[in-house]
Amino acid sequence: MPELKILAVDDSPTMRRIIVNTLKRAGFNDVSEATDGKDALAKMKVDNYGLVITDWNMPEMDGLSLVTHIRGSAELQDMPILMVTTRSVKDDIIEAMKAGVNNYIVKPFTPETLGEKIQQVLKATGRS
Amino acid sequence: MDTRVITVKPQPAKSMQEELRELASTLSDIVRGIRTAQEPIIESQQKVPQATEQLERITRQTEDATHRVLDMVEHITARESEIESLLKDLKRALPATYFRNNSKAKAVIERIRECAGQNQSAAYDIMDALQFQDITSQQIDHAITLLEQVQSRLQSVLMELAGGTQEEIPAEKRRERAYDPNAHFSTENDKDKQFSVDELVDNLSRQMKKD
Repeated sequence: MPELKILAVDDSPTMRRIIVNTLKRAGFNDVSEATDGKDALAKMKVDNYGLVITDWNMPEMDGLSLVTHIRGSAELQDMPILMVTTRSVKDDIIEAMKAGVNNYIVKPFTPETLGEKIQQVLKATGRS
Repeated sequence: MDTRVITVKPQPAKSMQEELRELASTLSDIVRGIRTAQEPIIESQQKVPQATEQLERITRQTEDATHRVLDMVEHITARESEIESLLKDLKRALPATYFRNNSKAKAVIERIRECAGQNQSAAYDIMDALQFQDITSQQIDHAITLLEQVQSRLQSVLMELAGGTQEEIPAEKRRERAYDPNAHFSTENDKDKQFSVDELVDNLSRQMKKD
């Protein structure tokens, strides 16, 4: 089975570094980074990813708009998406789920939660 | 026809002058009052950029420090992995009977491996805790936005007082900030928070499948 290619999208360099390190620790070594939604879409045009992990609050294009773009694209609409954000208000979670995220993690997260949610998302989207 | 005439008693010229002087003095007091009111507003308005700059500096410095800690954590975890692999090499280099005859050496090697594992685990805990930097920087961005709103309001007041002669701060001078105004860092109730989110996500997923 080919290695899962993950795109980690977050405007915070600290968070990107922590997410990449946590993913590598969990055995996911093929991880690319994007600084916001626009950057992510540009990278997704060039490379094939098996999972997108995205933050919500980002300049230029936020995570919610990124999810909407992905779900509206014929080529990318089936992409598994995991949202990792500080937003924990019920209405925000409902909005994100309606926009099309497959699962939702609240920051600060534990490595166990990230690993568990990745497996759940991949299983739910038939990629595991 | 009503022939009554209203007679206005002519005011002496001196009294008119007196009244004008009084009026001028009152106007002068008002102008002085406005100036006095403007001064602290101008001063407060000028201090806002200093405060926002200082807050932005805190974010940059905290981010730099966090990355230095992350560098160190990465080095520590890499060295701990190296210790693990060197212990394996050592075991392979020694004759198979060595540990059977030397239980003390075996115990020492096991203890080194245990310590290396604990150190690595503690280093990863430090890395996880560094998520605070993203969360506090969002809180600072929220504070900066509130300060910028205060600055705009003070500017409106000044414009009113000065009859629109104050220069407006162009919006493009301000950095676009993306933050969660409710961002909160706490490691104590993380699990409870995630548990509630999981419940909601499960319910919504089930509902969406039904629909």
